[in-house]
Order: sequence, then structure tokens, then C-alpha cells
Amino acid sequence: MRVAFAKSFLTVAARDPRVIFLTGDLGFNAFEPLQRRLKNRFINAGVAEHNMVTAAAGLAYTGLQPWVYSIAPFVTIKVVEEIRNDICLQGANVKIVGLGGGYDYGLAGPTHHALQDVAAILSLPNIKVYAPGFAQDVAVIVGKMHREKTPAYLRLTKGQPTDLRLPPYAPSRRIAKGAKMTVVALGSIARPICELVAQKAVPAGTIDLWVVSELPQELPPQLFRSIRQTKTLAVVEEHVKTGGLGQWIAHTLIERGIPVSRFIHLYAKGYATKRYGSHEFYLRQTGLDKGSIARTLRRSL
Amino acid sequence: MDQIQLHENLRRTMIRIAHASKSGHTHIGSCLSCIDIVAQTILFEMRRNDKFILSKGHASLALYVVLREKKRITDEMLDSYFCDGGHFGIHPPSSLPDDIPLPTGSLGHGLSFGCGVAKGFLYRRKKPLPRVFVLLSDGECNEGAVWEAAMFASHHQLNNLVALIDRNGWQAFGRTKEVLGDAAAPDKWRAFGFNTYRVNGHRISDLQAVFKNIRVNRNGKPHAVICDTVRGKGIKTLHDQLHSNYTTVDTAMLLQATGSH
Repeated sequence: MRVAFAKSFLTVAARDPRVIFLTGDLGFNAFEPLQRRLKNRFINAGVAEHNMVTAAAGLAYTGLQPWVYSIAPFVTIKVVEEIRNDICLQGANVKIVGLGGGYDYGLAGPTHHALQDVAAILSLPNIKVYAPGFAQDVAVIVGKMHREKTPAYLRLTKGQPTDLRLPPYAPSRRIAKGAKMTVVALGSIARPICELVAQKAVPAGTIDLWVVSELPQELPPQLFRSIRQTKTLAVVEEHVKTGGLGQWIAHTLIERGIPVSRFIHLYAKGYATKRYGSHEFYLRQTGLDKGSIARTLRRSL
Repeated sequence: MDQIQLHENLRRTMIRIAHASKSGHTHIGSCLSCIDIVAQTILFEMRRNDKFILSKGHASLALYVVLREKKRITDEMLDSYFCDGGHFGIHPPSSLPDDIPLPTGSLGHGLSFGCGVAKGFLYRRKKPLPRVFVLLSDGECNEGAVWEAAMFASHHQLNNLVALIDRNGWQAFGRTKEVLGDAAAPDKWRAFGFNTYRVNGHRISDLQAVFKNIRVNRNGKPHAVICDTVRGKGIKTLHDQLHSNYTTVDTAMLLQATGSH
């Protein structure tokens, strides 16, 4: 998604001279063209994220639209206070872009994973989380973030473009129709589930599959109808249990008095061992790889 | 009224308001150490479009009385200080962005924000180039973010950024020298690429002279004005005392400051 981001961001930045890009010293082998094109509007703010985020708020104060980029934990968890005090309290027009939602950074290890970023950001006022499901979503989301004048966090992953046929982007959208179970995925963890459905690794017509890419949001009535119908809800997210999509939806359902007879939550459980591995390794350990998801869903049908 | 008298009045106003609040949380010691700097900067030095950021947000009362003097806030608003539902509390609000660009209180944010504003003015090519004044406390310079900001300011040649450091020698729980060392030492700021000045932060002529220097200094470096001050200045029993920031201003103190006049 990094390449997709660089491309669509460049389109936006080329059109609008108020757009400024700040990176926390990252972007090797990806952002060089951006650096060349944006010239002095490309700032390498150094390994100094606290300053970068607050300075971005200062830039926004003068009417500019700064976009702040780093590996996800370094522009979320590391700088929660700066985001709260300097960006969110004022509703400053600052866009935060983090690469590596979830276990994306694999072998880089737990310090580079972002398992709590959505919870941390969602607990703050006036800010929206964007979690693209697919690389194709990035351009639409970047355009939307640029048009909105409010704080936003874009949770990128290393998800590659897919050749699956997808409906047009929406904050929540239905990818497949099914009658037995409603499955809702946050961002790019949707992709393996889409593949499972497409490859018929789960019985055809059983899974009503949805991808959520924005929080907070007013969930669409069709999704509630689906849940009322299937009465079985599975939420899948590469994020801890606390403060993510699962709790968001469960809370919404309780508020609205929508009953479910089964609630299955597949989420990141942290680290089963202190061993290192690839993104896939961590997903397997926590039951979020394609095979584990397929087994859980089949078992629950 | 001359300027010395004006500053004296601002001091007394703060002391009266602190007394009326009946609270030990007004940080009156810090307010008294920086009031001359705040008044000189906002009332006499700043031009239209210049910005002032009180990074040491706990000295908000100094900012409020000066903004009232400048007629940016009303008596009514100021009277609501410390009241339920009031406009102002212990730390500056986010409700007056023109005059209070950043709601501070958590230390170490103001200089970074000031860097962004100063850099933003450069991008916007505003003429004359507006300046950004950031008031920090010496204790605040413990914060790592202050030095991240110092590097940024220097690297980006923010000649329109002025860091004012209220060097009263105290932080929340001890003398700065006894806690982490003097982070407001001029050699530190010089080493980070600042034009560094040292003044008596209570002497108006010193402050005027340094601002005059800054106005003509176009060497591309940001400025750090290290202002030697006395915490609690104006209430003799609080002079240079740790507890001056935790004191409820009582009638005896009020009289010390106002009684003889």
C-alpha cells in the first residue's frame, strides 16, 4: 500500500500547494520521487516524532495541510499526547499516515508492530481512522482525507494489490452475500477472507462478508439487517481486543438492541512466545492467518 | 502611566485574582517570574500577525492579564477564572486560537508548535514575515521534545522564531541545578544553533534592548533569550521559593503586594 499511497498522495500534493509532507526519516526506496517533486514541501523531520507531530499542528495553524508519515507505532502510540493536545483538541487539519498496521512489520518485532493504534487514536476526539481494505482503496481514501479539513489517521499495511473484483469503496461495504454468518473485517485483514470466499474454502452462500475502513462511523442499515438475519457475527481484526472494531460493533449492537446468538471475535492476542518470525508467523500464532480464519469460520457455521 | 507602573499593575492584578481564587493552584510564583517577559513581548514587541505561545502553560494567569490589558479578553471573561463554567482555568484554553494558538499545560509542546507556525509563515510568504515568540520555563527544558524542536528550528533556519526562557532556577520539585542540571544554560542553546542572549527578565530596558537586537539580526538562526528571573517576584515572602507555585495567596501576601499603595 506504500506505493499506492505515494502515487495518490503525489497527485493530491501536486494539485494543492498547501499540502506538506513530513517523514520521520523513513521512506527509503519509496518516497524519493515524492521528495524530488515536492521539493521544499517534503520535510525529513528526522528521528524526532514528538517534534514532527506538534510542528505539523503548527503548520496547520497557518492554513497548510501537513501529512505526517512513519512506521505506524511511531506516529500513533509514541505520540498520543501530541495528537491529543496539539491536533485533536483544535481539530487541526493534520493527516497522520502510519505504515504497518498489526503485525505487518513481522521480523522487525513487537516494537514495530501496531496492535493498539486504532484503540489509541479512536479514544481521541475529532479524529477519524482510515483502514484501507485493499491497495485499490488508498487513492479514494487519500482524496477523501485531503478534502476533509479535520484530523485523520491512515493505517496502511503492506497489503499488495488484489485482482479480486471489488465493489466501489465505502466506509463499510459488502464484499460477498451469504445467509449463515455475518463476517466483518477491519481493513486489510479482509483480503484473506475475500480469497477464502472466492476460492470456496468456505461453503458458497454462507458468509455475508463486510469490510469496514473508517471509524468512527454510522454503520449501514444493510449490515444491521444482515446481522439480524444471520444472528451470527464474526469480527476479524489485526488489532487487540480492547478498543478495536469488535468492541465498536458489539457496543453498537447492544445500544440498538440487536440480538446475536453467536459472537466470534478474531483479534491479535499479542505474543504467544518470545520468538521472532514473519508477518505470516505472527498471524498463525494468533489465529489470524488464512488457514486459521477458514477453520474458525467453518467450525462456527 | 509608564511601563514600569503598568507591569506593577499587572503584578497586582494577578495577585488579586490569585487571592480571590482561594486556590493554591494558580502557580503564582511562575506567573510573577514571567509577567515582565509576557507583557514586554505581547504589549510592546509583537506586530500584527506575530504569535505568542505560552509553552509554560501553568503561568496562564500572566497571559490572561496581559490579554486583558490588550483588550483581547473582557473583564467578564477574566472574572470567570477558576469558576465552574468559566473561560479560563489553570492552563490556557483552546477557545481563543488567535491569541492562544495552542492549549498548553503539558510541557515541551510549545517550541515544536512554534517551529511549525514559524515555518508555515515562511511557506505562506507573508510580508512582513510574522514572528513567533515561545515562552518556556527552564524546568520545561528537561523535556526531550524541546531539544528536538531546537534542532528543527536551527536546521530550518527559523530566524522568525524567538524562544524566551524564563530562567527562575526552579522546577516543580526542586532547583533546576539539583534535578537535571541547568537546561537553560546559554551554551546548550548556542550549541543547538541559536542566537543566544542573556538578560535580566525583570528589567524592561534589558528586554527592550534584546528585542531590538533580534529585530535586526538576519543571520538565519533562531533566537533564544535566556531571562534570569526570580520566582515569586513581587511578593517578598515568596521570592525564590519552591512553595511559591503551591501557595494560596493570603491577605498578608496581598497586602505585601498592594497594601502600601
